[in-house]
Amino acid sequence: MAIAELFEQTAAPTPAPGGGSIAALTVGLSAALVTMIARSSRDSWPDAAGIAAQALELAERCPRLAQDDAAAWEEAFAGLQDAVEGNNEPGAAPLRPMLDRSAELPLAIAEAGADVAVLAALAASRGDGALRADAISAALLAHAGARVGAHLVAVNLGTREGDARSSRAAAAERRAARALADAVGMP
Amino acid sequence: MTDEARTDAELVRRCRRGDPDAWNELVERFSRYVHAICAKGFRLEPHDAEDAFQEAFTRVYTRLDSLRDDSAVRPWIAQLTRRVCLDRLAAAAREQPVEEVAPDVREATLDELDEAFAVREALTRLGEPCSEILDRFFARDESYRTIGDALDIPSGTIASRISRCLAKLRAELEGRKQPVGRSGEYR
Repeated sequence: MAIAELFEQTAAPTPAPGGGSIAALTVGLSAALVTMIARSSRDSWPDAAGIAAQALELAERCPRLAQDDAAAWEEAFAGLQDAVEGNNEPGAAPLRPMLDRSAELPLAIAEAGADVAVLAALAASRGDGALRADAISAALLAHAGARVGAHLVAVNLGTREGDARSSRAAAAERRAARALADAVGMP
Repeated sequence: MTDEARTDAELVRRCRRGDPDAWNELVERFSRYVHAICAKGFRLEPHDAEDAFQEAFTRVYTRLDSLRDDSAVRPWIAQLTRRVCLDRLAAAAREQPVEEVAPDVREATLDELDEAFAVREALTRLGEPCSEILDRFFARDESYRTIGDALDIPSGTIASRISRCLAKLRAELEGRKQPVGRSGEYR
């Protein structure tokens, strides 16, 4: 999809793509930035190839997460609307699995964000110094994605009180925050 | 020495001696590879792929004595399987014209299959925990946290462990003079 088309689709008055998909794409782009930094730092960073491979893997996961999240949220939104309006036909798909799925994907996005933030922090400390600003940018973006993912899990109607997914997502956001602090050199 | 650690050449020698367990092991070791060549490389329909699979192993069984280098059993099986698939395509084309896969596309797919199976075998040779860690991250899309929880490893150390395991995998592949990836990255 072209960038302009993505902007148009995001701005369209439809439920998806929404915050989850955009967070996934943000995490994916930050992973791509880390890949670039690692690839550019091979002469000075022994682990650069391994970090590049991991960042590339995470960058490739994120567009799939964005698409899946959009589809899951669209389905859950339609299911909710039918339930509210009393349009549920006999034999219609149950709402609970739809809501569960729409909570699981933001969790996966939050965890991907945390993992990319960890790699960005490594890139900031061991990568080419000339690219440190890019590494910190990647950590900031990855943290933002993790934070959005955790927020969407917390507010999702499929998430019940004491739900393990909420605590996992919150933990992912905290890992991303710690990695960001490492990247910028905060204690 | 475990069954998994036996080399291809040892396995072939046992087959030559008429060891029925060795034949079963040989089929098991190469079945996914042969099936992938038929189904993905030549895009045979499922029932044709199944027939080609059976025929390929029949040829392996009847012609094993013509194999000159026991350690080269994999490329030899691949070559036999390709011939079986080409024969089936030619026979099918005589009965009814079929949509041909472009040879360069087919070769590229077969190269990718070879590379994928070489990596899979190298992973097996690496042993635990590297094979498990790499499989979980790159094949099962698991997060660092999930991997850490499952293997009882601090999640903060997973990225560097993956890098070390990738370096070992690369050494394993290079030791066997196998291709690693187009850009030299661990893919």
